[in-house]
Amino acid sequence: MTTVQQANLLGGRALREGLRTPESLAPTLFIPVFFLVVNFGQAGRIFPSSTTDFLYGQTYAAFQLPSSLLLAASFGSAALYLVEDIEGGYFDKLRASPVSRSALVIGRLLAEGVKGVVITAVLLVIALPFGVSVASGVVGVVLLLVLTALWGVVFGGFMQLIALKSRSAAATNAGGLVFFPLLFLTPNFVPRELLTRPMEIAATLNPVTYVMEALRSLILQDPQWDVLTRGFGIVGVLGVIMVALNVRLVRSYD
Amino acid sequence: MVYEEPGTLAVQASGLAKHYRGRAGTVEAVRGVDLRVTAGEVFGFLGPNGAGKSTTVRMLTTLMTITAGTARVAGLDVAHDPDGVRRRIGVALQEAGLDPRQTGRELLALQARLFGSTRAEAATRAQELLVLLELEDAADRRIKGYSGGMKRRLDLASALVHEPEVLFLDEPTTGLDPASRLTVWDEVRRINGRGTTVFLTTQYLEEADQLCDRIAIIDAGRIVRQGTPAELKAGLRERRGLAVDPTLDEVFLDATGRTRERVAGEVQEVTA
Repeated sequence: MTTVQQANLLGGRALREGLRTPESLAPTLFIPVFFLVVNFGQAGRIFPSSTTDFLYGQTYAAFQLPSSLLLAASFGSAALYLVEDIEGGYFDKLRASPVSRSALVIGRLLAEGVKGVVITAVLLVIALPFGVSVASGVVGVVLLLVLTALWGVVFGGFMQLIALKSRSAAATNAGGLVFFPLLFLTPNFVPRELLTRPMEIAATLNPVTYVMEALRSLILQDPQWDVLTRGFGIVGVLGVIMVALNVRLVRSYD
Repeated sequence: MVYEEPGTLAVQASGLAKHYRGRAGTVEAVRGVDLRVTAGEVFGFLGPNGAGKSTTVRMLTTLMTITAGTARVAGLDVAHDPDGVRRRIGVALQEAGLDPRQTGRELLALQARLFGSTRAEAATRAQELLVLLELEDAADRRIKGYSGGMKRRLDLASALVHEPEVLFLDEPTTGLDPASRLTVWDEVRRINGRGTTVFLTTQYLEEADQLCDRIAIIDAGRIVRQGTPAELKAGLRERRGLAVDPTLDEVFLDATGRTRERVAGEVQEVTA
């Protein structure tokens, strides 16, 4: 059996796990929608679509949606299930099987990617009443789903690293909070060129900025390939790093 | 079977050691263990808490790196061919390694597929094991609702999906009621009767006496006694000039220098 087949089997099991705990999906949807509603409610009149160039004719909710998508993809529940597996002994059962160490890591990340696609699709539908549409069309919607899901895989990989290293749900949860500063050190409320200089520097150094800008370009404009290349490049590089670090950690796991 | 020289050994360890680096310095959990388990026997590995039983099992089952020494299981070197070893062993650890959100049937089928069975083969094997371990009625219920005894039997079943040559059972009856314990004993006998070597760790001396062909007692990371239960009892009787054979409890206490407390029920437990 190949590593890919094993990863698919373990990914299927992780998806079943998610489906059987729908309550864990509630915050994944509720909190991003909450931020979308609140931020749109507070700043929607400051940035009217008719006079705000960076909205390209859409509402401010369209500008805010990428933040909510990234937030939804950054809950990293897979890592908490991994901690449960470790604490309950099932992870050792899998490690004592002839399963590729890469499959042990990638299986859960595949499931995280699938969950990312579903959650993104749901959030896009929820955003419709706020006047949001995807300007880049069907191709744009597909790219939006893929990019958000890939970010979910990257962040899931980061959370799994904490889970494997700490073997503790509390530490893994705390590690997830790292995302909040990263989310706010971005052009979250206005484009990068309108930020103050220190914030602009921080946003430029923050990889989340490029993923957010790629998502935003898909929602507001026709495909901007240079922006998309940067966004996909960031998740590609970070994804490879996360998988490599995870596999290395599982191989040396005692 | 792929047993190599010396022919019939299912488990062979030589100078096996595990050292950890902790804040208080290096901890020597296992300090040069030598073991030879013959294919087809039930081998008992006894010791008080913290003696190094589970650490030794984790090294033999590829779950933990080996600091020093060598180990061969089912004829293969554990450090050099861990995947080969994993294909030939079944493992049921102290903590029943189950996924509470899957059903018993799903768990067994997944385990079989990870060992290379097709979907159809995995479904058939899962059904066979569910019948064998009397879990058929609960097969399609989620594992989180299983009793302790059912979980233990399912864990055992999941260790058997690929018909392993060597089965490692780490304290398989700890925490079970007497009836469940006897059921597990019956299973161990039945599995061994079909030719599977069983490497069993336990703190229950009656369990070792009932099930094991040979036993080794480990204390503070070193093997302090090894032999058949009868040999160990006879050795102590001779050494102390006793009129009758001592119990395995007395052998254990003599070997480890521990105190004894009798635990209510039909099984005696020895604690450090």
